[in-house]
Amino acid sequence: MPQPLSITGLHKTYANGTNALRGVDLEVSPGEFVVLVGLSGSGKSTLLRCVNRLVEPSEGRILFEGEDVCAAGSAGLRNIRRRIGMIFQQFNLLRNLSVLTNVLSGRLGYLGLGASLAPWRNQDLVEEAHVSLSRVGLKHLADQKVRNLSGGQQQRVAIARTLMQRPHLILADEPVASLDPATADSVMRHLGDLNRDEGITVLCSLHFLSLARKYGSRVIALKDGRIVFDGLPADIDDTRFRAIYGDDAEEVEIR
Amino acid sequence: MRRPMRILQALLIDLLLHGYILGSVAWLLQHWELLSVPVALVPLSAVMLTAVAWLAGDSPGRHFLLGAVAGRWYRRWWGICLMLALALTMLVGWLVVRVRPVKFVMQFANAKHIVISLLSPNWKLLLPLLGKLAETIYLALLATVFAIPFAFGLSFFAARNIMPHNLPGNSVYVAVRTVATIGRSIEAIVWAIIFSVWVGIGPFAGMLALMVHSVAALTKLYSEQIENIDPGPVEAIRATGAGWLQVWFYGVVPQIFAPYLAFTIYRWDINVRMATIVGFVGGGGIGLALQQQQQMLAWRNVGMIMWLIAFTIWLMDMISGKMRARLLEIDS
Repeated sequence: MPQPLSITGLHKTYANGTNALRGVDLEVSPGEFVVLVGLSGSGKSTLLRCVNRLVEPSEGRILFEGEDVCAAGSAGLRNIRRRIGMIFQQFNLLRNLSVLTNVLSGRLGYLGLGASLAPWRNQDLVEEAHVSLSRVGLKHLADQKVRNLSGGQQQRVAIARTLMQRPHLILADEPVASLDPATADSVMRHLGDLNRDEGITVLCSLHFLSLARKYGSRVIALKDGRIVFDGLPADIDDTRFRAIYGDDAEEVEIR
Repeated sequence: MRRPMRILQALLIDLLLHGYILGSVAWLLQHWELLSVPVALVPLSAVMLTAVAWLAGDSPGRHFLLGAVAGRWYRRWWGICLMLALALTMLVGWLVVRVRPVKFVMQFANAKHIVISLLSPNWKLLLPLLGKLAETIYLALLATVFAIPFAFGLSFFAARNIMPHNLPGNSVYVAVRTVATIGRSIEAIVWAIIFSVWVGIGPFAGMLALMVHSVAALTKLYSEQIENIDPGPVEAIRATGAGWLQVWFYGVVPQIFAPYLAFTIYRWDINVRMATIVGFVGGGGIGLALQQQQQMLAWRNVGMIMWLIAFTIWLMDMISGKMRARLLEIDS
């Protein structure tokens, strides 16, 4: 199995001068569930978006399964992106379209222009979309409009959309930050299942350490654009916690 | 803003305001044939008055731009100045417009005949006029439909978030925006005069006039919708590895579809109203009939047309309102 992700010397400076990443090195092994923690503004979102170049890195090297992401041309980049699933805090679904169409849109990277105009006419694809929806327990909502769904349901639709990509790696940017604790856990459980059963590598940023401990096989902490901790979730004690979140911070438990 | 700029602005405001007050007084003196003031005296005395006010440290410009002047407003020159300007404006306005309330009350008899005729429309004309009305509705509809593809195409070039932020991108954006603004600020009635000479009097000229105006208006409304879309779904579709046409079709179009339709229906509604006015200057339809009947002083026929137009507009307003409400419901 090729190494899903290898990042060396990654820097990102935005046009307004913000130094979001200041030299990140990261090796991710197949099947890992890596949790990214750190304060808002520590560079978690930027790091995740650099991996599939939704944000253009300023400096450094990113290898996805051995392919140089930064050097890829537009066709090469599309080819890389379609193997990397992405989940967002705000779900980022098309609210006016049906659940099924949203799930089908996950396949666009594999489809030609003609086929992508009406993917619902491809029986095999629709069948696969229904299977994806069953995996997140939402098969019965396939024909609903997304805007009629609850937040937790929408995030599960987003996971089903990602499954249509047949991803080797899933990037999740604060996937449960806008959900209540119970719903958050159920969404995380779906991600955990995919990681365990399908062997999909996951790179997921989270706000709560309790969730990180429960689902992560490894925790990376970012502070001011640098990695300040890399180890097992259980190894984050009080001292380490303060080093990541600042001296005044105290851990709040959610379960 | 830097202080020298503010001082300059304050000075300019004071000069204009003092000039306006003195000018108004001079105009009144002239109007009532009390005194003939040489024109050059107005700006000259305005400069002098401003100089005195600034030496005294009390003037509207100073008060609003360079820090408030202490004291009650009605005891200070800046407050008196504003009140004076307001009072003079109303007085001069009254005289310029030649308002005569007595005429309004006493001379109703002149128009009595017309008002009564309008209220007893000539129903015999109803059927022949329905044809003219159909002309108006059709020409408004075609003007709207033909405007859609042009406005749709142009709107993407007039959307800030879609156009690249470089020299060619900015130039195209500014050019499209400028043309759309000019197109909108020229009234449809002017376009109708141009086209009625170009293709001859009739509904086709009216359609072209409304179409030009609609392209400009819809371009602006459409492009504002594109600027308001949620960038999240666009990002999500890009992340799946979709090409830019796929991103556009799945990420952008579903977000703008309902508002585009709502705006287009609204535009058709506006076009029906404008079609009657455009008809008046040669754009065909019921507006042209109205103009012909009015010139023949056939007031009962004019009355029939008037009621027909009012009914149509009420109907259109209601239907388009219902349709738009339904669309926005879908979109929310």
